[in-house]
Amino acid sequence: MAEARITFQDVGKRYGSLWALRHVDCAFHAGEVVMLIGPNASGKTTLIKSLLGLVSPTEGRITVNGEVIGSDPAYRKAIGYMPQISQFPATLTIGQLLEMMADIRELRADEVEDSLVEELGLSAQLDKRLSTLSGGTKQKVSAVLALRSRPGILVMDEPTAGLDPLSSQRVLQRAAAVRDAGGTVLITSHLMEEVESLADRVAYLEDGNLKFLLPVQEILSSTGSTRLSEALPRMLESNALSHVL
Amino acid sequence: MTRALQLLILIHFTGVAQARTWTHKGGSGGTLREGIERASPGDTILVSGTVSEGTIRVDKTIVLLGKVDAVIDGGGMGDVLYITGDHVVVRNFTILGSRHSNLDDQAGIKVNECRGVVIADNVLDKCFFAIYLSGAKDALVEGNTVLGKPGEEDHMANGIHLWKCNNATIRNNRVEYHRDGIYFEFVTDSHITGNTTKHNLRYGLHFMFSHRDAYEDNHFEDNGAGVAVMFSRDIAMRRNRFLANRGASAYGLLLKEINDGEIIGNTFQDNTTGIMIDGCNRINVHDNVFRLNGWALRLFANAIDCDFRGNTFAGNTFDVSTNGSLIPNTMNGNYWDRYAGYDLDRDGYGDVPHRPLGFFTLLVEMQPYAMVFSRSLFVSLLDRAERLIPSLTPESMKDDKPLMRPPVRGGRSSAKLNERPFPYSTLGIFHALFFIPAGPWQDEKCRMMNEKWRKPERSMAMVNTCIFPFPNLPHTHG
Amino acid sequence: MLKVFKYTLIDLARNRFVLGYALLMLLVAQGLFALEGDPTKALLSLVQVVMALVPLIALVFTVVYMYDTLEFTQLLAVQPMRRSAILGGQLLALAAALLLAQAIGLGLPLLVHSPTVAALVLSLSGSALVLVFAALGALIALKQREKARGVGVALAIWFLFVLVYDALLMWGMFTLSDYPIEPFVVPLAGINPIDLARIMVMLQVDLAAMMGYSGAIYKNFFGSVGGTIVAALILSLWVAVPVLFAFRVFRRKDL
Repeated sequence: MAEARITFQDVGKRYGSLWALRHVDCAFHAGEVVMLIGPNASGKTTLIKSLLGLVSPTEGRITVNGEVIGSDPAYRKAIGYMPQISQFPATLTIGQLLEMMADIRELRADEVEDSLVEELGLSAQLDKRLSTLSGGTKQKVSAVLALRSRPGILVMDEPTAGLDPLSSQRVLQRAAAVRDAGGTVLITSHLMEEVESLADRVAYLEDGNLKFLLPVQEILSSTGSTRLSEALPRMLESNALSHVL
Repeated sequence: MTRALQLLILIHFTGVAQARTWTHKGGSGGTLREGIERASPGDTILVSGTVSEGTIRVDKTIVLLGKVDAVIDGGGMGDVLYITGDHVVVRNFTILGSRHSNLDDQAGIKVNECRGVVIADNVLDKCFFAIYLSGAKDALVEGNTVLGKPGEEDHMANGIHLWKCNNATIRNNRVEYHRDGIYFEFVTDSHITGNTTKHNLRYGLHFMFSHRDAYEDNHFEDNGAGVAVMFSRDIAMRRNRFLANRGASAYGLLLKEINDGEIIGNTFQDNTTGIMIDGCNRINVHDNVFRLNGWALRLFANAIDCDFRGNTFAGNTFDVSTNGSLIPNTMNGNYWDRYAGYDLDRDGYGDVPHRPLGFFTLLVEMQPYAMVFSRSLFVSLLDRAERLIPSLTPESMKDDKPLMRPPVRGGRSSAKLNERPFPYSTLGIFHALFFIPAGPWQDEKCRMMNEKWRKPERSMAMVNTCIFPFPNLPHTHG
Repeated sequence: MLKVFKYTLIDLARNRFVLGYALLMLLVAQGLFALEGDPTKALLSLVQVVMALVPLIALVFTVVYMYDTLEFTQLLAVQPMRRSAILGGQLLALAAALLLAQAIGLGLPLLVHSPTVAALVLSLSGSALVLVFAALGALIALKQREKARGVGVALAIWFLFVLVYDALLMWGMFTLSDYPIEPFVVPLAGINPIDLARIMVMLQVDLAAMMGYSGAIYKNFFGSVGGTIVAALILSLWVAVPVLFAFRVFRRKDL
């Protein structure tokens, strides 16, 4: 197995008296897509946010490329992030936003991957104000922002929500491309059908606990299913978890 | 007929022959004392150079005329010039070196018990008393520059000091750095006009027990207090400027035990207290401007039958304060910039009375440290509430006919205010819209005003540098 | 930080509220100078407006803006960029935008109509108040998660500084007037930034009264060079302390 690109070491996050994450221990590797699943408020977003540095864990530590993340923001250079809900400064146009973010990330022109703009049909809308965009278009812009720096680590929070099927597929293809180039991809999604073909491993969270992190093949074989959407409910119903973890 | 003509010619001729002109150069030949001895009444002595012979006594009617370099130095011996002769003229000298003594009143020029003396265009430099008139009648003190020496009150005396004089004229002098700039005690029927007094330790002008005098068009600035009028009656005070008389007990004008005076058309600006009225009767305070004073008017409860009208109160920290509640004075038709009423019938007067005594004024009277709340939101709310529902401020202290706009100086009567005023508010909107700077011409106005104030100084400076002014000798009573 | 400053400033330049603030102040100041005729009187009226309005607007605007740009802040926070650079850039941009708006709305009319020392002091004090209350606003916005509560806290703080503090201080002054309260009066009056700014202006516009007995203790202290330095120092602390706390909060804040 490839070396761990990202590790969570006994990570916990408490909001008030509530633990949104507790004792999370896991590693994500180069060249894999990991799907994070779990019910609402199970801790998926908190896990992602703590990796991105938006949330600071109450306990434990997270490493990226062997370095513990802290106040040094340099590790985020490698990360592309597509948030669940995208809000942008209302006064800017799409073009200005892309330009600004490239400037902020200090990307050179040759580092920028802009073919997705064309592919998602945004090139005709570059002069549109962000405040006038529909939710779906905002998601597309968000996807472009996440991918255009050719990230080694791609984090997507419900990337397909609000996107039309064609665009969803294109975005997911890009995620696959990141993996194929040796990157690490973390995706949360409610819609398993869409993502299952992409995923190499599945992480299941519930009440802030990581219940399991297993290769897709293993899940399918242990439940005797051919599709993840069938396999997972079965797996959760049976107490098959205990022997795995 | 021929004989009569001959007689006339003879009288004329001898008259000319008698009025001789002597010249005296200080430090050469004889002394000025001998020169004066030698001169006959009516003669003129033209003096140049420095004369230092101690006290010079002038006891006969002669004209002492200084050339541009003429200095009389008393050498600290006593009075420098001591005049007892009638109609003596002292003109165009620099006089210095009077003795500083608290035991007797030594002066640069002392005039004692005589009439018609003229003291003009002299510079009095660091004298103890500068010009001291005692028992003089019909004296004229004009165009002198009187500069004392800054110091302690104990070691300072008055610039122009009059004691028991009558019908004196004090005109266009400049007095600085003395104790009182101009001092009147038991002086009657006299005029003080166009003088400038600045930086004097105590008062710019001080009246004691003096009656039927007038002071007009004078400029009082940065004195301990501008003018103090005490125990006097029938004093007319017109068109003077009282500026920047600031300090813990500083007033533009202090009135104490004054009856039947009038204060008309004066400007009070930047004084800690504009006018302080203590124990006065029947004073008319009309058409004055009070701007940017700490307290424009402090009216003690022992002031009776004073009448305030046509005055402008603008930008003062406090407009009126008092120490009592019963105010037997009248206050009508003044302009108050704090007035928040309306004029529905458009007669130029507000339809609701104005109470100039604010709640905050009372608070500060009670607790001086409350001053720190001046112009705070809290205080303006309190003040507004008190004006609506007066509870602490005296009921009788009010202006029933407050002017809606400040009266215009220079002829425009208050009756004219009945005209519908120019709708300035419209102008204001245009102004705001087009952002036309209103500043420059207003500044121009200020500058012109300043020029006007400075004028007396400048003209005096010119007089003093003229070599032979030889104007008509002002023997008004010759 | 410079980039965040730049882009936040661009955003603020397009913000209607900032433009509105500049226009409002311009209208008020121009209107007062035009209506009053006497520039000195207009200046005095303007003092009260500035002392009440400027803190309110700086406080509420900063709070609202910080909430409204939270998503953008999140977007910035996932970039390879320090938290301190983000907040620093944003605060600098806010301060610059508000100061610029105030310079246009207040400074310009003052310069045109009343180029005096008093006007300069008013302008400087107003700018100090902008900075103080923008700093407080930023801290409030970072401490309170909910926008409505944040605005509420902001209004409460404004009310405290502009009115309640003075009322309490005056009440105390009259209640304790039998005691030697003199040593406490100056420091207590100087703690409240609005009072302090007002005193600095008052020393100019009410100079004549401040030279009198009652104003003497304020004049003697705040009128001196040392007093002016102390006043500037206190106002700087009022900016620095909230900003420092804001950085502390923001460094570990969950976005």
